[in-house]
Amino acid sequence: MKLKSLIIPVALSLCVPAFADDAKITNAAIDQAAAAVAADDPQEQEQKPQETVEDVSGKVDSLTEAFTEMKNTVDALNKLRVTGYIQAQYVNDERSANELTSPTATRNLDQFSIRRGRVKFTYTANPTSRFVIQPDITTSGVVLKDGYVELTEPWTSWKHTLTAGQFNWPYGFEIMYSSSQREVPERSRVVRTLFPGERDRGVMLSGLGLGDRLSYKVAIVNGTGTAQSFDFNKRKDLVGRLGWNFGAVDVAGSIYRGEDLVATSTNAKGREFDKERMGVDVQWVTPIQGLGIRGEYITGKQAPSSGATRTASHDVEGWYFYAIQNLGTRHQFIVRVDEYDPDTDVANNAVQTINPSYIFHWDANSKVMVSYEMIDNEINDPDDNVFTLRYQYSF
Amino acid sequence: MKKLMALAIAVLFSMPVSAAKPLTIKGSDTMVIMNARLAEGFMAKMPGTTIQVTGGGSGVGIAALINGTTDIAASSRPIRTSETDKLKQRFATTGFAYPIARDGLSVYLNTANPLKELTLAQIRDIYTGKFTNWKQVGGNDAQIILYSRENSSGTYTYFKDNVLLGKDYSPRAQTLQGTAAVVNAVAKDANGIGYGGAAYAKGIKFAAVKKDDKAPGVLPTLETVRNGSYPISRFLYLYTRAKAAKEMKAFIDWATGPEGQEIVTKVGYFPVK
Repeated sequence: MKLKSLIIPVALSLCVPAFADDAKITNAAIDQAAAAVAADDPQEQEQKPQETVEDVSGKVDSLTEAFTEMKNTVDALNKLRVTGYIQAQYVNDERSANELTSPTATRNLDQFSIRRGRVKFTYTANPTSRFVIQPDITTSGVVLKDGYVELTEPWTSWKHTLTAGQFNWPYGFEIMYSSSQREVPERSRVVRTLFPGERDRGVMLSGLGLGDRLSYKVAIVNGTGTAQSFDFNKRKDLVGRLGWNFGAVDVAGSIYRGEDLVATSTNAKGREFDKERMGVDVQWVTPIQGLGIRGEYITGKQAPSSGATRTASHDVEGWYFYAIQNLGTRHQFIVRVDEYDPDTDVANNAVQTINPSYIFHWDANSKVMVSYEMIDNEINDPDDNVFTLRYQYSF
Repeated sequence: MKKLMALAIAVLFSMPVSAAKPLTIKGSDTMVIMNARLAEGFMAKMPGTTIQVTGGGSGVGIAALINGTTDIAASSRPIRTSETDKLKQRFATTGFAYPIARDGLSVYLNTANPLKELTLAQIRDIYTGKFTNWKQVGGNDAQIILYSRENSSGTYTYFKDNVLLGKDYSPRAQTLQGTAAVVNAVAKDANGIGYGGAAYAKGIKFAAVKKDDKAPGVLPTLETVRNGSYPISRFLYLYTRAKAAKEMKAFIDWATGPEGQEIVTKVGYFPVK
């Protein structure tokens, strides 16, 4: 009885740091409790006060020790940040056909699937370095998407950062815009074709300065992307992006210079072909409430396919345009139009896609996307439109 | 297939969307008491209006603004470029800032500490770990005990950017949740030093802050914060996604008007104008 009566005021006093504004109330409560103890059993109070206080003091010390240990553990865990998302979807593709084997592209594509299952681990022990690893776990297996370390210099406001490992190509907007945020199911055709997998291995230097207006990223990479586990040629590729933030408008220019090693009809070991991309991207927050516009144009040279008889890379170009209208916090209406010309010297071979999409944000973590891709080839246009219903949960 | 798409959209539109939600303000712990008082005052004046105020830190409030779970973010620091970028991408807006109070970001000392003033450089050297003993800044021969805020705090960020000039806090700094906890810790620790809003001056004393060795020490008062002579003053903001309208506009107009600013002053901060 007496011990309990003493623990109450001590416990109340321990609460003081968290509720300093209630300090008067807390002190009053302590006084009341102490008075209650005195009135409870005055004789016993006089006989064993020292022993009881020491007993409680010991308990408080042990609690403090336990709290300190727990705080150290929590502080260590705070350095590790885990984020991720999963995209479960149903796709209805007009190209689908029943077929047990698939010698052609007519196999069934109408199906439920896990499009992406990402878990990203970021460990930041101090502000000058960071560790990031992000696997993609789907029904097709597990592949490494991101895996890099970052070193950030502490001496200037630019916070120049050196990144080494596997990361997004620092090119354009759509490559580096997360698939969890993108308003349509897949990236545009030009980006998917010229930057398959969106990632490569190498080192990158990046920074942000001039009042956070100017951003730069420049990288030296293998140039083979992530589909291959090694680089076929000795030369490394250069890729970079320089951006300027005007407030409501962001504009950037990007460039890629490299070589692709391709086996030709006369050289099975492969010969090098120019691999070049150059372009500009713009994101505009319009004066119309909730309306955002984005666009990107890319031109360049693409190496021929393996076994080709060509002697030089061919010119390619493509672009995309997004209009995104937000209604309140839950509804987004999107239209993306994109076009890709795989060889500008060949007539009537461009592919244009119109992709209306709607997103309902169920809560802060969940959203449902309905999308319909209308794919239009300039000639010989097949039935290949794609409907997607996707549910995404992110944390 | 087009019928399938139309059906899917129709189903999504038929999903329940809650109506007549209360106005929510989330964010800065520094501002939480002031915002609660302002909300109480406004609700008393406008019966039928409900405003919910929660803390968590400026970073938490702005994150909630970005993911759409709060109407208003309270922040004791300006929004960051990276946060504006996220607002642009998700809601096609750069956000709107409404300063509702001024604060003299104060340096707390225990009342038993004989020191009365510190230069900005001394404060920086103390918090970056260069100075570890009070005698290095003219005080007692005793170890300096640093109390700081968690890194989601706008006060933490503002202090780091403007006093530490971007340098990192000493690893010896003890992280506490909320300005009240910092004040309480310094009040109990004769060798403690902390920082936070001027409204939390209970059981501690403020250090007069000097811009440099030659400048006079200045305490955070209405006059010194207003005339800019106090070296570490800041605005306290409410951020919204769209330009404030209807109930939100009425609240912000009232908070920045005479009645609201009177509450701001009573809580211990300083009027915007």
